[in-house]
Amino acid sequence: MIQNILILSILLPLVAGIAVLVSPRKLYRSILLVVTLLNLGLAVFLFRKDAVLILPWAPAGIDFSLRLYHFSSFIILAAAVFSFLIALYSISYLQNNAIAKQFYAYLLISVSFVNGAVLADNLVLLLFFWEGLLGTLFGSIAIGGKQSFKTATKAFIIVGVCDLCMMAGIALAGHISGTLAISKIHLPLDFLGGIAFILLVIGAVSKGGSMPFHTWIPDAAIDAPLPFMALFPAAIEKLLGIYFLARITLDMFKLNPESAMSIVLMTLGALTIVFAVMMALVQKNYKKMLSYHAISQVGYMLLGIGTCLPAGIIGGIFHMINHAIYKSCLFLTCGAVEKQTNSTDLEKLGGLARIMPVTFMCFFVCAASISGVPPFNGFFSKELIYDAAMSRGAIFYLAAILGSFLTAASFLKLGHAVFLGKPGQSQPKVREVPIPMLFPMISLAAICILFGVFKSWPLNNLIHPVLAGASVEHPVGDSHISLTLILVTVFVLLAALIHHIVAARIMGGAVKAADHIRYAPVLSHLYRWAEKRYFDPYEVCRRIMKGIALLLWSVDKKIDWVYNVLMVELTIISSKGIRHLQAGYYVIYIVWALLGSFIVIILSLR
Amino acid sequence: MPSLFILVPLLLIVILNLPMKRLRGNIALFTALVLCIVQSLLSLIYLLFKSVHFDPVVPFFTFALSIDRLTLILLCTIGIVSFASLLVAHSTIVNPRQKFIFINLLLIALIGMNTIVLVTDLFSLYVFIEITAVASFVLIAIDKDLHAIEGTFKYLMLSSVATVFMLSSIAFFILVAGGTSFSDVHNSFSGTSDNPFTKIAAGLFLCGLLIKSGLVPFHGWLPDAYSAAPGPVSVLLAGIVTKITGIYTLLRLSTSVFVLNESMQNMLMFIGALSIVLAALAAVTQSDFKRMLAYSSISQVGYIALALGCATPLALAGAVFHFFNHAIAKSLLFVNAASLEKRFATTDMNKLRSFGAKPLVTSVTSLIGFLSAAGMPPLAGFWSKLIIVIALFSAGKTIYASVALLATILTLTYFLSLQTKVFFCKAQTVQPTVSSLPAIAVAEIILAAIAVLIGVCFPFVAYIWFLPLKEILH
Repeated sequence: MIQNILILSILLPLVAGIAVLVSPRKLYRSILLVVTLLNLGLAVFLFRKDAVLILPWAPAGIDFSLRLYHFSSFIILAAAVFSFLIALYSISYLQNNAIAKQFYAYLLISVSFVNGAVLADNLVLLLFFWEGLLGTLFGSIAIGGKQSFKTATKAFIIVGVCDLCMMAGIALAGHISGTLAISKIHLPLDFLGGIAFILLVIGAVSKGGSMPFHTWIPDAAIDAPLPFMALFPAAIEKLLGIYFLARITLDMFKLNPESAMSIVLMTLGALTIVFAVMMALVQKNYKKMLSYHAISQVGYMLLGIGTCLPAGIIGGIFHMINHAIYKSCLFLTCGAVEKQTNSTDLEKLGGLARIMPVTFMCFFVCAASISGVPPFNGFFSKELIYDAAMSRGAIFYLAAILGSFLTAASFLKLGHAVFLGKPGQSQPKVREVPIPMLFPMISLAAICILFGVFKSWPLNNLIHPVLAGASVEHPVGDSHISLTLILVTVFVLLAALIHHIVAARIMGGAVKAADHIRYAPVLSHLYRWAEKRYFDPYEVCRRIMKGIALLLWSVDKKIDWVYNVLMVELTIISSKGIRHLQAGYYVIYIVWALLGSFIVIILSLR
Repeated sequence: MPSLFILVPLLLIVILNLPMKRLRGNIALFTALVLCIVQSLLSLIYLLFKSVHFDPVVPFFTFALSIDRLTLILLCTIGIVSFASLLVAHSTIVNPRQKFIFINLLLIALIGMNTIVLVTDLFSLYVFIEITAVASFVLIAIDKDLHAIEGTFKYLMLSSVATVFMLSSIAFFILVAGGTSFSDVHNSFSGTSDNPFTKIAAGLFLCGLLIKSGLVPFHGWLPDAYSAAPGPVSVLLAGIVTKITGIYTLLRLSTSVFVLNESMQNMLMFIGALSIVLAALAAVTQSDFKRMLAYSSISQVGYIALALGCATPLALAGAVFHFFNHAIAKSLLFVNAASLEKRFATTDMNKLRSFGAKPLVTSVTSLIGFLSAAGMPPLAGFWSKLIIVIALFSAGKTIYASVALLATILTLTYFLSLQTKVFFCKAQTVQPTVSSLPAIAVAEIILAAIAVLIGVCFPFVAYIWFLPLKEILH
């Protein structure tokens, strides 16, 4: 019974997605809503159940094996909630939009692949669904507009290369351990195991959108349809990436605090936090700023899981779900603003709080959450991570708290610029968005508050069972957080508020509140280089590849010359030579024949 | 039963030449067409029903006939090509008297070829080669055109050299083996293995056959004869006559009658490879449609010779298969050439280009024909070339296999330039003198259909027809 439902949860959205592509205009919206709702129902039904399904699929240990347990059921439930809410939102957002049909189809197919990837208990099966998501990712970005094909290609190449690393990691892990079943792989972190670990982690964190695999996300924020941003980079990809990272570090490799890989993960997390938030701070576009925050927040999850301490891991996973909730909601508020004003440029917006009060309230809750203001959910997950980071090294803690300061500063800037202050130029007759768009925002904002106020329910029901099977002992209680750290956090947040007020007053406007950082002596150069994309591995590789391509092109011209000119000339010359031999005198022909016969007869005697 | 393949055409010639005017019109053509169809269908039916058992050797007058699977394939091919040639003749030869002469000569050539395929005696073989050859000399010059007479003359001169070689070889065999039947000749090889006269005799006969097949460097006559012959005659000549008198006889004798030493086999392979490359190179810059086809013909016969020299069972099966495919494809292309010649009164490709659009059936079938000849999957020619190349590789003749493969590029080069020059050109308003030639279109469609069907149904064809040949040929 449960096995059949597992299969159904993969097949139903897939079939529905294909059906959407061929269905008439009136029908596909209802298909989308009904199927995402059904999927949510299935996910609720499967929640906290255990099941295993193994079907023989291909030789060499590649089975179609699914495993449902507390962690995967939790991720499936979360993904189902997001896909339903965003489907509801996008029906209103994409009304009368030509790309709606394709977007809905990609959304449904993605839901199917997410369910498959999360349930898969075989590395190759996981890879199958994982790569399927790459296809829908490409499609969802590419339908955005004229420029979006380039961005889609960029995303495809970056994620594809990282998935290639993951594929190599899967092959290596399967080779070392002799099995491809995820639940049976337990590897030591020796030389080969370390390589496999790094390759697999590249696959996981690139899905999560960590540095340096992040550069397509800000571009996609501009070019892709907005519900895509709210669903993919904000929610589903974080869920999948961090889920797989947790599986790798907890089940497959048993990372311990002593190993170098732990330091590597924490460093990667700390760097991602600081650099991405520095970029976010100076953005002057709503979507772009959110997308840099989506990158920056992954750093906290990496840092938390990388500490290998129970508090850090719980904090990392809690932060994953919290982040998905508030970042998704923030993108939805951005969509609401864009829908009503046709702009996401901070300099053109302003004073929307009076006109769109519900949107502003949702924004306020989520912004407070992401900045780590007590008692919202982001505060508690961040405190857990701070605690673990502090016990691994003050430098990681400092990076995290600096990130927190800058996050708070940038959201103060954002909220001030968009919702407060004077009304912007391009908003003559703006109204609040319709109910189908408000409902998802309100629901997500409400969850932010609920998970913050009643934090023991998600911690005890969602997060702690994840560690139950893993090597980590002593799940931490919610009273664990030290008072000192809380006080420091509150102090930092207040500092951010004061900084913003002072800076906005001095620089003359909320939008310019971060300009003193943008034009600081050393930082201005770094920012300029970043804006020229010197730090974007994709662009750097593209420039290098251009040189290589020119070189190869010139070599290729030479090779072409050999085939197109030299060989042709040789053929024609020899052909003409043979034609001259065929002069038309039969005597000559007889002489040839006789000479040939002479040789044949000589040979026959040997 | 096999004697019917000889007696019925003979009887038909006698009846057609009875002093009755009525027999000389369309009845003659019709009966000849029916004869060809019956011959190919009959042999095909025998091929399909393997259980039909026939007496291997049947005495007929003073010479013995034998029939086996190889023979049946060839009889079938002869029937198909003669049929196509008759259809072309019906469309292209206007003068009824000339048409009647053509039919008679074709029937004589048919008798000759059927007998060559069936006989088991070296001297009778020689006699019927000559009968076929004489019929084809006259056929080439049937227009009494100066150019054609020149072509016929070159063919005649080279053939007479071949005749001298073959006759002296037979004389040697009578001396050494005491007889000319295949079994006597074969025994003379095993009995006195060191006798130089046996080897010289075999060498001489082979030289004669190499001239008849037109392999490089014995090929001088071939381009002139093929391009000078009128349309239907070039179909017959290129499609089947030189193949039967030359390369088929070479195949039969070198595999089951003579015992060739290794250097002779290497020599055959070398001649084959040389023909493939040189003739293909020569074809590249030809400007005459039929002349290019003639060089292509030499090149394709080179593949058969290459497989013959390799002499493994697979290579021989490949040789026979290629023989069949090549006969079909080359007849098809010559039918196309005849069709264009009839319409536009020229075979010069540059002139043909200026006439603009060509009839659809002709250009499509020509595409099929040249793709099959060049060895493009899934057409028939691809499979036979593939078998030959595989056989060469598995026999360790890597260099020859590579030559055979690479020469395909040259083949495609000249065929593509032919196709683009003649067929792929802009439509122009010049109307051809003859608007439609239904008989030629029928011949084109039948031959193209065979090339496609054999290719598509290759597994069936391979296992039912060609691979059992391995047992016969060794």
